[in-house]
Amino acid sequence: MNAWIVVLAAGLGSYLLRVSMISADRVRLPARFDEALSLAAPSAFAALAMSSLVGTVLGAGTSRSVAVLAAVVVATLATARTGRGYVAAVTGMPVFWLVTALTAH
Amino acid sequence: MTSMTRRELVAGVRAMTPWLAGVGPFGLVIGISAAQTDLPTGAGWLTGPTMYAGSAQVAAIQMLGAGAAPVAVIMTVIVINLRLIIYSAAMAPYWRTMPLWWRLLGGYLLVDPSFVVGIQRYGRGRDAQRPDPAVPEGRGAHAYYLGGAMVLWATWIACITLGATAGAQLPAWLHLELVVPLFLIGECVPKLRQPTTRRAVLAAAVVAALTLAVPMHLGIMIGILAGVVAGSAGSWRQRRALATAAASGPMEEAHR
Repeated sequence: MNAWIVVLAAGLGSYLLRVSMISADRVRLPARFDEALSLAAPSAFAALAMSSLVGTVLGAGTSRSVAVLAAVVVATLATARTGRGYVAAVTGMPVFWLVTALTAH
Repeated sequence: MTSMTRRELVAGVRAMTPWLAGVGPFGLVIGISAAQTDLPTGAGWLTGPTMYAGSAQVAAIQMLGAGAAPVAVIMTVIVINLRLIIYSAAMAPYWRTMPLWWRLLGGYLLVDPSFVVGIQRYGRGRDAQRPDPAVPEGRGAHAYYLGGAMVLWATWIACITLGATAGAQLPAWLHLELVVPLFLIGECVPKLRQPTTRRAVLAAAVVAALTLAVPMHLGIMIGILAGVVAGSAGSWRQRRALATAAASGPMEEAHR
């Protein structure tokens, strides 16, 4: 199944979720269900980030792995310090480039 | 279009504006991600108008780019987007009397920011439970929702397009594929302050790392489910402990 079809299928599924309750105005979902589903997005972010980073570190050479780890550490600390999500990419990428350049030679 | 409807439409756009500052960069990141993975850029862009949900789009692009099985990708997107059922259920009473085409359009535009902006306006309506479109107040709220939702959609698609276009022009040595996991870390770290979300995030991260070798990239979905279960279980235990403490308090008073 090619990527286009997968994207369309996943999009159709997402749309069906959106309109699933439109005609059922008396349905009330239990509060516990609400809370559980609200955890899906942050869980997804964490799972995706970890999967991507571990895969990169394991598959790359030493210098690339060191650069990635340095970027992650700085990004995490900067975000924790400022509380701003965008700071992670803004600080992490320059650190990655710098460490890559330093360890390349 | 009446002047009242126009006013409400504009008010909805204005209410959505603060959200655009946050979703814009996310859309750019998704566009760049679509351009940088092995996925056809057009397919990555297509996640915007079809899935129309950032976290699910990131998951789909990353997983497809890594060669994950189609079933794993679709199931992961569905799991991440299950919260849309809650939004749908919350909006249903307000849209009950609207024509089918409106409900189908309104439903398509339903996502976190449009839900928040819309539900706040509906809640302020004259009859918060069942707004009647024959009453101007109800019709105004519908226009308000559509105004905010449409400007959000247009901005989202524009930012993804910009990111995908610019991302394809940038040199490979920049390794911009790292932007997405860093962006995701930026989304997770502030949430670590809340105990329930902290449990969910840490559990998801650990399980995803441990299940990296699981076939069809199912490890990501397993990690997400582990996070949801861990966060919910911890929250349930906390509520039970509080309920037990509250129940034993009056009993101790009675025994004195």
